[in-house]
Amino acid sequence: MQTKQYVAATFVGIAVLVASVALFRTKSAVAQTERSAAVFTADGKMQLPTGYRRWVFVGAPLTPNGLNNGMANFPEYHHVYVEAQNADAYLKTGTFPEGTVFVKELTRVLNPTFPDGSRTEPSGRGYFNGEFNGIDVTVKDSKRFSKTNGWGFFTFGHHPQPYDQTAAEKTVTECAGCHIANVAKTDMTWVQFYPLLRGK
Amino acid sequence: MTVLIGAMLTIVVIGISQSNGQKGPVFTKDGNLVLPTGFRQWIFLGGPITPNGLNGGNAPFPEFHNVYVEPENFRYYRKNSIFPEGTVLVKELVLTQVGPYPDGSLDSASGRGFFPSVLHGLDVMVKDSQRFSSTNNWGFFTFGHQAPPYKPMAKVMSAGECAYCHIASVAKTDMVWVQFYPVLTTKTE
Repeated sequence: MQTKQYVAATFVGIAVLVASVALFRTKSAVAQTERSAAVFTADGKMQLPTGYRRWVFVGAPLTPNGLNNGMANFPEYHHVYVEAQNADAYLKTGTFPEGTVFVKELTRVLNPTFPDGSRTEPSGRGYFNGEFNGIDVTVKDSKRFSKTNGWGFFTFGHHPQPYDQTAAEKTVTECAGCHIANVAKTDMTWVQFYPLLRGK
Repeated sequence: MTVLIGAMLTIVVIGISQSNGQKGPVFTKDGNLVLPTGFRQWIFLGGPITPNGLNGGNAPFPEFHNVYVEPENFRYYRKNSIFPEGTVLVKELVLTQVGPYPDGSLDSASGRGFFPSVLHGLDVMVKDSQRFSSTNNWGFFTFGHQAPPYKPMAKVMSAGECAYCHIASVAKTDMVWVQFYPVLTTKTE
């Protein structure tokens, strides 16, 4: 019984320690990410976002060229990032705060050996990340983008690095149209593909 | 008491921005690894996917493998091509949405492919040259291949279960499949 209590006490100790560290670290994470909101030039172009690798990764849809007649619209992995405080706000309220930025970083798949683009590795047959291949961004700004449900859409190129440094807003038919048709109810975001934004 | 511990661990585990916790591994007195916290705010290294549909219905790691490492260890590797003592790599498994094609893929607005559905498990490796000297300095753990909640702690896996494959395939890159994580070897944001 005494041993049990000792183990339990140790556990509580660890939990308290971890919780304290977690709380302490949260402050600094917020401070680091605050400066990374969307930056626009005088003529309304968006600057290539920075710092997104420190944001929360929410999911990696994969549309391989091998399954899309050699020409996927978004080739091929879509790694999607959002700042932690905006993810938390969505989980609480069901909408993203003004100024939310999503970054979708594309990567190719690694050296395909099957027609579908997959290859076999010790962990099984599948797809593995290859070289970086572009950046797309969505920004929530209800004044600037009132015509497209409060969101603006940008691409900094679908090609290997270096990416474009600035990007003009895409037309409605290029990006927003599809989001309006499919995901208007979830604040223009494909949350069905991002388990962390569905709380599971 | 058990309820209290559960509640406290839950506080640490849920949420995203509040769970930015731990630095390095936490072991119990008897050498079990405590479930890492805060890893979703670490650096995402990559998301290999081995769909069940391409692996006889039973991928060993079903299906997306989302791999994370703490920022300072990420920076260290990019500089030195080796991970420092105490590095923790977390691999969170995520199932794909089930599609109509034999490989499991589905058609979505962005094209045919594979799309994440639900969280499905957590595997971890820890670099500790004293504890794990017999397996090239890394210990391997699994907190279950199932939906959360993940197991609160795990004991080290035998060499025949995990380490042997890393030793055979990626001993030269510090036991990590860096060839699948271009972010470790490419100059980028």
